[in-house]
Amino acid sequence: MDWSQLRTIIWLRWRLTRNQWSRNQLNAVLIMIVAVALLVLSVVSGVAGVLVGFFILAERSPTRMLIAWDLFFAAFLFAWIIGMVSEIQRSETIDISRMLHLPISLRDIFLVNYIASHLTLSIILFLPLILGLSLGLMLSGQWLMIWMFPLVLSLVFMITAWTYCLRGWLAALMVNKRKRRAIIAVVTFSFIVLVQLPNIISNLAHDRKKHRPDTVKSAPLDEQATRQPVSRSRRPIPNAVLLAHKVVPFLWVGNGAMSLAGGNALPAVLSAIGAFGIGGLGLRRAYRTTIRFYQGHTVGRRSKQRPKTKKVSTVRKNFLERQLPGIPDEAAALALAFFRCLTRAPEVKMALATNFIMLLLFGTMFFARRISSLSDNLKLFVVSGPIVFTLLGMSHLMLNQFGFDRGGFRQLVLLPVPRRHILLGKNLSFLPIAVGFGLTFLVLVKIILGISFTIVLAAGLQLLATFMLLSIAGNLISILVPYRITPGSMKRTKTSAMTSFLIFISRLSFPVAMVPMFIPPATGLLMSRLGWLPAGPVILLSSMVLLGLLVFFYRLSLPGLGNMLLKREKQILKVVTEKVE
Amino acid sequence: MTLAIKTSGLTRCFGDLRAVDSLDLRVEAGKFYGFLGPNGAGKSTTIKMLTGLLAPTSGTMCILGEEIKDPDKAREVKRRVGVVPEELALFDNLTAREYLTFIGRMYKMPMATVRERCRELLTMMSLESEEKLTLEYSHGMKKKLTLAAALIPNPDLLFLDEPFEGVDAVASRVLRDTLKRCVQRGATVFLTSHVLDIVERLCTDFGIIVAGKLVHQGSMDEIRAGGSLEERFLEAVGSDKIEHQKLSWLED
Repeated sequence: MDWSQLRTIIWLRWRLTRNQWSRNQLNAVLIMIVAVALLVLSVVSGVAGVLVGFFILAERSPTRMLIAWDLFFAAFLFAWIIGMVSEIQRSETIDISRMLHLPISLRDIFLVNYIASHLTLSIILFLPLILGLSLGLMLSGQWLMIWMFPLVLSLVFMITAWTYCLRGWLAALMVNKRKRRAIIAVVTFSFIVLVQLPNIISNLAHDRKKHRPDTVKSAPLDEQATRQPVSRSRRPIPNAVLLAHKVVPFLWVGNGAMSLAGGNALPAVLSAIGAFGIGGLGLRRAYRTTIRFYQGHTVGRRSKQRPKTKKVSTVRKNFLERQLPGIPDEAAALALAFFRCLTRAPEVKMALATNFIMLLLFGTMFFARRISSLSDNLKLFVVSGPIVFTLLGMSHLMLNQFGFDRGGFRQLVLLPVPRRHILLGKNLSFLPIAVGFGLTFLVLVKIILGISFTIVLAAGLQLLATFMLLSIAGNLISILVPYRITPGSMKRTKTSAMTSFLIFISRLSFPVAMVPMFIPPATGLLMSRLGWLPAGPVILLSSMVLLGLLVFFYRLSLPGLGNMLLKREKQILKVVTEKVE
Repeated sequence: MTLAIKTSGLTRCFGDLRAVDSLDLRVEAGKFYGFLGPNGAGKSTTIKMLTGLLAPTSGTMCILGEEIKDPDKAREVKRRVGVVPEELALFDNLTAREYLTFIGRMYKMPMATVRERCRELLTMMSLESEEKLTLEYSHGMKKKLTLAAALIPNPDLLFLDEPFEGVDAVASRVLRDTLKRCVQRGATVFLTSHVLDIVERLCTDFGIIVAGKLVHQGSMDEIRAGGSLEERFLEAVGSDKIEHQKLSWLED
């Protein structure tokens, strides 16, 4: 490709961006402000690096140098990984698929895209810092530190090239929509775990410290005082760690800095050459996979062609043919279809699993630390916690029931069924999930806290009662404030300011909706305090009454809400499908 | 004469734009009606209003002899109608068989009938061995599944918005024969298509809509008596435009 072609392509990219900005000027202003802020931050970060290198690191031992560089590079890698998982699918500056038919070199476009992929927060903030650090060390008189520049740059090149390759591979995998959703779900889940990692480590460390044997505590104070400084500052780096620094490319930067501080430039030079070579291989592979992807080659191992066998599913009863006792046939079919859709959507599974793991994680931590200090009175209320949390995790689904249907909601509008049956079907589809999670947590709470069976049984009834309440609220809010959800995710998209405000209010009012949940334990506590009746049977009885009342109100609400849905279904259809398809 | 579709002054506005403007449509029961028009003429908007996907700004509609303003009557009418909308209406996470089972149950069909028709329709649309979820389907496969869903209740009236778009030749042929049989047994088919050839071969009646107004309505017999549907269509749409659409540099 000659220069004029490349210039035209870059002009095209600029034109597209400009047109996009001119359509939304507020957005353009915000982008400009962010760009200026990033530029300032980048300069500040570079200057800070120079100062740290010059004043703090300059006189340090080679061992300290290794630790410091490892820490800086680890921080960069952490930021880089977070940036990568938050934008898992490579967004290319210039869409190669639209250039394939033109008489131009795809390699040049690929390189432009690769260079543009460096405009990330982690690089803008950390690269000037690390380069500034090298400069600061150099200015302090350690001229050999000049070799840190090629070493750092080649390592960054290695990381970005292989990341680019990885993203290209994921993009090819995600051509399959089902895999795409699974990958996005897994990556988002990994992101949450990654963000929570420092918290988990801190908690584990806290626990370990707490459970450390008393022998350490009982050692004489003067002995401890002499032992500690030696172990912290002068302890030599184990050989295995030093070996790892020579073998693992991500650790080469620390190893290079240590050897340069010791007056030996060879390891740093070799590491730079090695990293550059590995990066080159990554980029070459990225280019090949990109071109193969755009030309329609498949990714992954080729599976053996299995002979197609005639399915016997015509004879076998399929899931959607099942009946639900006591439920009208149409509502049962709707419930089964919605349940199938929910349990097959990776984004829903991921959202529910995250909720489950979070509760398990934090709940265990909370109970493990404070179990002994919990009073019996408090235990009556604590049992309601997991139930509220379970329903909180489902609330974003239940308060926007039609958003998830997207185009499917058009089918609901076309169906000759009473709208109350649609609402009933929707609510029933969530019931097994709520009951499943809720009961699991209740069993765990019973085991951990040793709460009586009567209280746990009452909590089960409260779970159903609260589910009824949330269903009524969910039906109403879903009809009044529906919003679009991006396909393959649970993220709301293109919502107006008013809708966003209403969503915020509805989420804020969630705790209020949960208040009835605490009426039975409060009643039980009051009765036992007054000495009238024991708490357990009172809680059980009041939970039954609460459930009965809410079932009554739920049944009462369905016809009215059904009519409301009928009146508003065309507006809902517009909201949940427009601009999403 | 029984009318399957009757509209009076049916209008739909989007802001200042009158997408459908005082439409007075008459479609006899048992006819194969082709609804034609250039892009953006208001065909899909009309179908959306007739099927209850879009509320009209003004005017009245009578489908299968029932005013569909009353929700209960509208539901009874829907029970006798099959629809292939412009934007398809599938649930992403169901398989073809599950989706058809779901539709069958919604129309309160006996389970044995649902199973039997599912099998036949999936075979007809070459989807019988598909265990994929509908979100993995190509546009053509989704279209075929939506067609199957419209046919499963054996409706008295079928609304088909561009039913042949993206459908392969084999399925298209099978579908044409099926639709013909539907009309032979007394059902009404209301279809929009850009392929005039298909409309000319299949339909018994047609209407042409231009800029939201019905400019011509007639029987296909009058076309067959002389001229072609294309000529009539171009005449209604404005054939003089073609004269201005020549590239000067191709003339050299």
